[in-house]
Amino acid sequence: MSQAVFKQRNGLVAVVLVTDCGVITPEKFKRLGEMIDEFGIKAFKLTTRQTLIVLLPEEKVEPFILAAGERGFKIGCFKEAVRNVKACSGSSELCPRALGEALPLGIKLQERFFGRPLKHDFKIAVAGCHRGCTDPYCADFGVIARGNNLFDIYIGGRGGSRKPVHGIRIAEKIKEDGIEEILEYILKTYNELAEEGERLCLTMDRVGAEKFIPTEIIEKYRERGEIIDQDFLKLFQGGK
Amino acid sequence: MEKQGINLERLWAPLTKICAECDYADGPDCNPQKCYVSFAKTVIEYSRTKGVTEIPGIHKLIPPQDLKPYYKDLVSEGIAITCQECRQCRENHSPDCVVALVRSSLEGTVLPEHLEYPGSVLVYIAKIKELDPELAEFIAAKMAKK
Repeated sequence: MSQAVFKQRNGLVAVVLVTDCGVITPEKFKRLGEMIDEFGIKAFKLTTRQTLIVLLPEEKVEPFILAAGERGFKIGCFKEAVRNVKACSGSSELCPRALGEALPLGIKLQERFFGRPLKHDFKIAVAGCHRGCTDPYCADFGVIARGNNLFDIYIGGRGGSRKPVHGIRIAEKIKEDGIEEILEYILKTYNELAEEGERLCLTMDRVGAEKFIPTEIIEKYRERGEIIDQDFLKLFQGGK
Repeated sequence: MEKQGINLERLWAPLTKICAECDYADGPDCNPQKCYVSFAKTVIEYSRTKGVTEIPGIHKLIPPQDLKPYYKDLVSEGIAITCQECRQCRENHSPDCVVALVRSSLEGTVLPEHLEYPGSVLVYIAKIKELDPELAEFIAAKMAKK
């Protein structure tokens, strides 16, 4: 796995820190603040992938990476691997529009899959509703909450490109437990079928999208009933 | 900075006026399974308690029939407020949005058929005008007052 560390035009070096899908706790924020003077940090920059870039002098990079690791930060990855996961603030505690626990799910997926080597970079996005603030339709693996802890899954999207591609929906109303299993299948199939440096959408075009659809796993975790908010239903059936 | 959330109290106010005029209020038919207004109130209460603006799948629970008489004048005020509280999500419109649920319930009291909401207030009023020009006029007048 290649670490996301990039020399800049002004001589500084950008070190990419991974967050928990954009969340940084006050404790971690304080730890980061303590490192500003110690490592001569010149600036921070937020990225569209919910990572945090730290700009610092080249000679400080190695000790900074070491210290950041000791203080609980992961360094981002690039090239052929699963990138950090993007997730919106969709959860029962934050966004009022959320239909499911997108943020905790995103963090869980990141903990399990981040950095896994592949044939090309692989981006995952999780959204708490159909609005898709984290662009799940343009991710290699996009997950969208539907309510009742069920999710739709899209694969083969590509954003940040001259030729953007929308993913295709391969599964509807999947129970949360099944998402990791489906993702595991797709990563395994992708590694088997992709040519070196070939993005998932191109492999799907070349070998057929159907090879990436794990019918049995989908059937195992698919909810067959209607999605209806159960708490509301109780209130509704209780009368006044 | 303006608060961006939906104003539930504004949605609630015209419903209480409708109930105040209703002969069936507090009777056996005064419940969300049988009454459009009671359903709308339940939606608002739930939204207030849970802090959510969308309730998955709930539009399917809007009572299929409620034959009580409703006054267009009172109902149009409620619909006008839903138009003002609507965030005009357009292609992202959801029938399970709290505003949409209240509006759909109120429509049921005075319109002969269900309207597919276009996600935009202007287009919506135009659609109502096709079905019931008088109601469209009432709604437009109430909206102009606020």
